[in-house]
Amino acid sequence: MLTLLAKLLKALNSETGAWALAFAFVLGMMVGFTPFWRVHNILILLFALIFRVNLSAFIVSFLICTGIAYLLDPVFHSVGSAWLSSESWRGVWEAMYSSPWWRITQFHHSITLGSIVISLALAPFVAVGSYFIVVNYRLRIQKWFLKLKIVQALRANKFWAIYSDLRG
Amino acid sequence: MTKQLRQSTIRWPGVGAFFIIIGLLVGFSFLLLDTIIKWTLESSLGTLNRAEVNIASVEHGWVPLSLTVTGVQVTDPAQPENNRVVVGELRGDLDLGELLVGRVIFDQLNATGIRVNQPRQSPGEVYTKLSKDEVSQAASERWEALKMELPSMDEVMAQVDLQTDIVIDRAKSNLDEQKQKLKQTRDALPSSAQLAEYETKVKELLEGDIESATELAQRREQLEELKAKFRADRDSVKAFKAQVETAKNIVQSDINALRQAPEEDLAKIKNFMRFDATGLENITALIFGEQIRSWSKYVLLAYEQLAPMMQRADDTTEAGPLRSEGVWFTFMEANAPPEFLVRNAVTEFAFGETILDVNWQNITHQHTQLGQPTTFQARADNSAIWDSFNLTGEMALKDNGFDARQQWQLKGAKLNDIGLSDRAEFMATMAATLLDSEGSVAVRNGLLDGDASVRLAELKINASGDSRWAELLSQALGKLNRLDIRTEIGGELTAPTLSLNSDLDRQLGDALRSTATDAAQTKLAKLQQDLTAQVNAVIAEQSPELAGLVDLEGLASSKDAKLEDLLKSQLEDKLKDKLKDRLLKKIGGG
Repeated sequence: MLTLLAKLLKALNSETGAWALAFAFVLGMMVGFTPFWRVHNILILLFALIFRVNLSAFIVSFLICTGIAYLLDPVFHSVGSAWLSSESWRGVWEAMYSSPWWRITQFHHSITLGSIVISLALAPFVAVGSYFIVVNYRLRIQKWFLKLKIVQALRANKFWAIYSDLRG
Repeated sequence: MTKQLRQSTIRWPGVGAFFIIIGLLVGFSFLLLDTIIKWTLESSLGTLNRAEVNIASVEHGWVPLSLTVTGVQVTDPAQPENNRVVVGELRGDLDLGELLVGRVIFDQLNATGIRVNQPRQSPGEVYTKLSKDEVSQAASERWEALKMELPSMDEVMAQVDLQTDIVIDRAKSNLDEQKQKLKQTRDALPSSAQLAEYETKVKELLEGDIESATELAQRREQLEELKAKFRADRDSVKAFKAQVETAKNIVQSDINALRQAPEEDLAKIKNFMRFDATGLENITALIFGEQIRSWSKYVLLAYEQLAPMMQRADDTTEAGPLRSEGVWFTFMEANAPPEFLVRNAVTEFAFGETILDVNWQNITHQHTQLGQPTTFQARADNSAIWDSFNLTGEMALKDNGFDARQQWQLKGAKLNDIGLSDRAEFMATMAATLLDSEGSVAVRNGLLDGDASVRLAELKINASGDSRWAELLSQALGKLNRLDIRTEIGGELTAPTLSLNSDLDRQLGDALRSTATDAAQTKLAKLQQDLTAQVNAVIAEQSPELAGLVDLEGLASSKDAKLEDLLKSQLEDKLKDKLKDRLLKKIGGG
């Protein structure tokens, strides 16, 4: 875990693009919010591994959002149930349900559909928010952050050693 | 910077990492497939059952695709310390082609070692609480209601207002009062001497010579004065006679009341000992209810176990907000094949050493799609514990609810050592009996409607208890040899209610009352003897008084008659005749 945090700090302090980090946060959020054993998560994982998505940011985002998801499950369930119960969408759902390929996505599960919908709705905001935070961190917070006594103390212990090793 | 620009957009090592990760996940799942299936079945069956479901082990086979589940324990949500059903082993062959398109179709499913209502090693977790505690509490209260104490003779004597003593006191008081009144009226009566004097005076007035009209007038006046006295005396005699009559009636009435008082008191005591019989209502249900309810679990097994699960499997309204739950929606077209179907199944029920095979066809919760109901049949003759058994039925979950019917006939079931009550205050065991039963039950819109007869012959019940009521109940039950119980089945599918009727309530009620009275018989006889002795003593005192009153009545009548005679005396004519003779003599002799 310490290594993971150190890698995230390294990425934040490195020249890695702010949008790349923001995108990693979004993908991590989507995997974290939705039930893990779903086909779309395999596709997201494939995407994150093949393209140069920052994996440290992706994993940290996934872990944090998995925790938050337990609190948001009732909301996911309500949204998913409401949409799946909608009469106007019934024809669409029936057509998808009759297709084995769509059935594999498990779209007819209330929490799955609700969490995907909310993740997609939040994605632009998380992306822009993450980008804003990364940029401001690098501009303003990084120097102030490194001067904090607690950070100075940390620099003297194992965490800083890992971080330094990573920096090479 | 130059190095970064040369980097490809594709991270090729990432492709390898992806396949390694997926490979690890698949391999991990493959190795733990049985455990994953076990957890999944426990979770999903637990949700359908609304209480904990435990599975000992799961094994899968690839060719043919099959699943073997052993040691299934399904907790009874209403009684978590019991399993509503236990399955020894469940083996099914899955249709691989159907599974690939998302349908779970078992061509054949065999379940062995099925038992219902079995105790668990530890209480199972209940996900949806049922008010079984209240049911248990209610059952306890029913026993409390029966636990009445029969009143003892002393208690009865203390509470019954005995009348014999009161009647004796009243008789004595009445006699004294009447004696007093008689004495007063008797003092006013003319004495015999006075009556004789009256006679002499009347005689003198009527028979003496008359010299003149003046003397005649004087005698008339004297006679009138005497008659006035006669009238006064006659009134006194009449008053006395009336008083005697009243006293005689009162004494006679008191003697009659005295003679009846002991019998009336005994009748009152016996009546009081007929304690409030409301506690005896429906002893049949109290004593045989739990056992028949237990038997009914076999009869209603198909409904009680499968129907709720079918309904919940089809229910998309139940919210499951937990991450592992949620709700799976179904968007099936009317003509689509069902997603879950067991084409044929054999469930092997164990009754001690006897095995009963129930054959099932078309087990599913999507009967509308299938177009056929789930059917089941069981037939077993000449088994170790019964002569014949036949069960047929069908059920279907339709748009308007659960629809089912079944009928059964059971003949000559030999039952031994069936516990009826294991309560400390009352232990009862059906040591032996032959049971016949037949009936039918239907389900419409989730409501049960049916009736059944339960005939117990060659019945032998051993019962015991410390309290008086338990002793009496035990004696009464011990005398039972045969019992016909009529059972009506109703209520909701998930909470069936049984109402039991037989003539046992009346039989036991009469037996208890009779036994209670018998127990008091010695004391009652002694009481009767005492009361009769008291009354006889008083009657012995009053009878001579009554005879004396009759004599007094005769005396009064005699005086009355004499006074009446005196009052009828014709003084006027005699005196006139004498005076006329004297005047004629004077004129003729002149």
